[in-house]
Amino acid sequence: MEQNKSDRTSFEFPKWANAVRIPVSLMAAGAPVFVLGLLYLAFWPGTTSVGYQPQQPVPYSHALHAGELGIDCRYCHTGVEVGAKATIPPTATCMNCHATVRTESEKLQLVRDSYATGEPVEWVRVHDLPDFVFFNHSAHVERGIGCESCHGRVDQMEVVSQFAGLNMGWCLKCHREPEAHLRPVDQVTVMGYEPAEDQLTLGARLREARNINPSVDCSTCHR
Amino acid sequence: MSSLNKSPDQAYWRSLEDLGDTPEFRQFLDAEFPAEAEVPTDALSRRRFLQLMGASVAMAGAAGCRWPEEKIVPFASRPEGTDPGVPRTYATNWELGGDVRSLLVTSYEGRPIKVEGNPDHPLSLGATDSYSQALVLGLYDPDRSKRVRDRHKGDHAADWAAFDAWAAEHFAGLKARRGDRLAFLVERTSSPTTRRLKARVQELFPAAGWYEWEPISRDNARTGAALAFGKPVETGLDLSRAKVIACFDADILNDHPAALRQARQFAEGRRAEHGSMNRLYAVEADYSLTGGMADHRYAVPASLVGEHLLQLAAVLAGEHHVDLGVAGSLLHGSDHAPAWIRTLATDLAHHRGASVVAVGPRQPEWCHVLGHVINAGLGNVGATVTYTDVTDPERGATHGASIGLLADALHDNRLDTVVILGGNPVFDAPASLDFGAALAKAAHRVHLSVDDNETSKACTWHLPRAHVLESWADVRDVDGRYGVTQPLIRPLYDGRTPAELLAVIAGEPRSAHELVKATASSLVGGEDGWNTLLQKGLLADSEARAASVSLRAEGVAAAVRPAAAARRPELSDTNLEIQFVRDPALYDGRFANNAWLQELPDFMTKLTWDNAALFGVSTAGALGVKHGDVVSLAYDGRTLEMAAYILPGHASHSVTVSLGHGRTAAGQVGEGTGFPTYALRSAKALDFSDGLTVSKTGRTYLLACTQDHFAIDQKGKEEREKRSHTLIIEGTAQEYHEHPDFVEHRRHIPPLVSLWEERGYDGYAWGMTVDLNSCTGCNACVVACQAENNIPVVGKDQVSRGREMHWIRLDRYFQGEPDEAKVAQQPVACVHCEMAPCEQVCPVGATMHSEEGLNVMAYNRCVGTRYCANNCPYKVRRFNFYNYNKDIPETQRMVYNPEVTIRARGVMEKCTYCVQRIEHAKIQAKNENRPVRDGEITTACQQTCPTQAIVFGDLNDPNSRVAKETANQRSYHLLAELNVKPRTSYQARLRNPNPDLAESSDGHDGHH
Repeated sequence: MEQNKSDRTSFEFPKWANAVRIPVSLMAAGAPVFVLGLLYLAFWPGTTSVGYQPQQPVPYSHALHAGELGIDCRYCHTGVEVGAKATIPPTATCMNCHATVRTESEKLQLVRDSYATGEPVEWVRVHDLPDFVFFNHSAHVERGIGCESCHGRVDQMEVVSQFAGLNMGWCLKCHREPEAHLRPVDQVTVMGYEPAEDQLTLGARLREARNINPSVDCSTCHR
Repeated sequence: MSSLNKSPDQAYWRSLEDLGDTPEFRQFLDAEFPAEAEVPTDALSRRRFLQLMGASVAMAGAAGCRWPEEKIVPFASRPEGTDPGVPRTYATNWELGGDVRSLLVTSYEGRPIKVEGNPDHPLSLGATDSYSQALVLGLYDPDRSKRVRDRHKGDHAADWAAFDAWAAEHFAGLKARRGDRLAFLVERTSSPTTRRLKARVQELFPAAGWYEWEPISRDNARTGAALAFGKPVETGLDLSRAKVIACFDADILNDHPAALRQARQFAEGRRAEHGSMNRLYAVEADYSLTGGMADHRYAVPASLVGEHLLQLAAVLAGEHHVDLGVAGSLLHGSDHAPAWIRTLATDLAHHRGASVVAVGPRQPEWCHVLGHVINAGLGNVGATVTYTDVTDPERGATHGASIGLLADALHDNRLDTVVILGGNPVFDAPASLDFGAALAKAAHRVHLSVDDNETSKACTWHLPRAHVLESWADVRDVDGRYGVTQPLIRPLYDGRTPAELLAVIAGEPRSAHELVKATASSLVGGEDGWNTLLQKGLLADSEARAASVSLRAEGVAAAVRPAAAARRPELSDTNLEIQFVRDPALYDGRFANNAWLQELPDFMTKLTWDNAALFGVSTAGALGVKHGDVVSLAYDGRTLEMAAYILPGHASHSVTVSLGHGRTAAGQVGEGTGFPTYALRSAKALDFSDGLTVSKTGRTYLLACTQDHFAIDQKGKEEREKRSHTLIIEGTAQEYHEHPDFVEHRRHIPPLVSLWEERGYDGYAWGMTVDLNSCTGCNACVVACQAENNIPVVGKDQVSRGREMHWIRLDRYFQGEPDEAKVAQQPVACVHCEMAPCEQVCPVGATMHSEEGLNVMAYNRCVGTRYCANNCPYKVRRFNFYNYNKDIPETQRMVYNPEVTIRARGVMEKCTYCVQRIEHAKIQAKNENRPVRDGEITTACQQTCPTQAIVFGDLNDPNSRVAKETANQRSYHLLAELNVKPRTSYQARLRNPNPDLAESSDGHDGHH
């Protein structure tokens, strides 16, 4: 098509553009939605966090110790009833048994070295909240939230993996309806707990009895 | 009601700029954030920013969409009884210039992060001062000395082994010569362990000289007491029994070994609800906190304070027949006494046995003698005044004389080895002694000090000293009580205590722990006694009994006769008086590298980061000196150029300079701030002297002053003047007794209607009350808040732009004529409005109101529009204009409170009512199935306040202290007419003026 370029004052689409008008405009409208949706799903805690299962320096198996052997969570995670942090046990706790049990095992070499030299074992943190979130274990454990409600069936994990997204919306869901997860305080460390009655009924009763009113104020967790 | 319409003369004003409505003041009033962030410190352009942001998004995608791996590292063997994440508290004590402060220090996972007062200790009663609060920052100071340094030839890093080897040989040689040509220079200490070791060293080195130097010294009081009683004694005051208190250049509420207790007793004596109020008179040159609280204050040059004391004594003896013994007969007639002295005398005479005459440490010894004589004559001894023996009776020379003797010995080449334990004499010895040059004459100079300061740089051995929070030591307080200093953390840099060094020198090295335990074991019973001592921080029932002393006529006569006959200096604009005072933030300069203290606005002057020469208004006017002018001070043959600061209420013909700034070897924070006023100080007049001349240089200096920052604007200046008396509500005791509800009649608030539905609070309803009657303005709350809440330091430049970050500020208002201004103080922090203007405008909902009444901040949600700060009528919100927490050295990060978020750039912050403490207490209570008890939650500011002016608690609990105080008739809300319904209320200040003195602020006629 002959055109005098110097006369041209406005841009004209070539004729074949008509045919692709509709698909192109749909793609142009849908692309941002698609990209945003992709990013949303990519950064959704369910994607980024659930199933996080880092390799640990020592192949400690919860399935063996907590599951098969039946050691209570609190034997090692001692801070869970007194403070904010559940705490990872010091090497000395391991050596309580392993000073006499499996003393030649290769898998425990790092543990024995640590106890001998005083250098700690550097575990990889699995459940990590951002620094501006202040979570307190004792407030939950002492009131009747089971370990497995947030951490899953740890007694079935060879290597610890993250069970829940631990994002704010997930926390708020329970704070708004604690009946869905409350259990008697002496059952907190039981794995695979099944309430004798309907969970919501039990939960409502426990909530009433213990005056549980979880706050949804910002300052509860953000200080 | 005569009190309803106050004349504009009674209006409050923040500064002379405010009074004069100068453009400088308007600049801060009209724009809360002047000079917006158009001045980036790092030249990051917008384009570069976008580039970086783009890159980081891409990188985030590559990294796997989760934040980097974090390690969790337990102990190998956890100490018994500790739980990570649960803070522990230990009792300890420390000395500042030999005066003891008793502390409880909170340790989090093995590092001390917060200092509180020891509530079991009668001297602190749970409170601390600002120096104590800033201790933790000093511990983690990255500029602290980390290595032994050998400076014999050049400057080499060494270690303790090298020093120990050298010392063993060197001091063995000296021992053989019985310590000939050896001298020790020590700081004032009450420590029985150090004294025990001193005795041992003196035994082994009998010819060695012992010298003691403190740049801020109370020795005038000591020699005065020695003259009056024949032996040095400490003067203890019991202000709870005093109805009339007269302070002559004495800041007993803030600058005294027992200041915390005295402030508490004084505040209790001000509660008019409990009976009659006490009355405080202050006669002083510079404006001290005691002067700020005084019902009557007379600005008098320091050189003339003694004159008034003589007049007072003369009037008491002559007209009130107070028995002043031999002094009475030596005094002139009372004809020259001004009217106020007569009225003061009458007041004192009517309260025999319930009054106090206090003389400050800068006044010469004869003033102290006279003070003792007057107190004895008034029958105060045994009631409001008690005497106890000093902890170091064997010390002969005063500090001033001692350093002079040492300088002489050095100048005369009589010394080869000088051991300096602590202190910084090269910087702070009187300039007339030329101590630096003198010290260089000794061949071996050993200095033990926490920082590698000016003196260390001049010595041949510099030894790192253990910080007080790392030390084992012991103390004896001014009442004689024994206490132990226990470390909260192992010495970070392997420092040693003075006692350990003395042990090494004696050839019997022991650890500080062993040394202290050995001293203590003679006082306590066995291991149990030792553990109880450590737990409590003090030894029960170990205070000294009152010393029974009586006035010695010869001593009194020897003091009073020449004083009564002497002529006072003739002060004028060409013959001014210069007064040297301790710096309210840096003490004597030792805290120069402590950023919290450097940035702490001095209560009266509101100066940060500098010192200045304080002038009274009329003297400055006569000399043509304006605020910020650089003036040249010439005194005793030395000159110093300093910035001038005009302080309303400062005495005429007197210039006050504070000591401690102008350091040259203090660290990154402390060097180059302010002016080195030690360069002017002469050994013959350590406290004050006439003979100062001032001349202008024509230059100006930027003084970073916070006094006009965050001024609450109230619809124009005329309205402001009319209403200024509603920010601070004051009355007199008389008015309160006649009309207990006078607060309600001070202002008229129209019926308040809310646009929003107000919600009720069923559970806890947190609230606070601040008693303006008790607040002395000591600034401890400001530093405590900074320590508790990780508040950053912003530096002088940012402070001058109004960007200081303190969550609680102390507003100081003047009232009256500039030369005789009265002062009122008001601590202002977020008042947690129920109908908060800030909550209503946040576009992202980062600030909301909790169910318990707190106005909470969610930092992670804040995007930094600053609309909330704009809307806040109290101007209490602080914005992080830059990332003030970036580039903080790793050691210094250990001081952060892990329970509080550390805010980054672009985030707004403000007082949270210490929500971390509230949540901690609530969780504890819930875990134990009980409600939170009143008093279980104390905010940081409340806990440290010496006078308990701040009370926090549950307003819904009718039995709580805060509910009762809020129901008090003196209670009012700041800016209540805005209907923001603040949760913090204030209680009006009461003054108790003497009806016979014409300064009564209300319109009533004087009558008893």
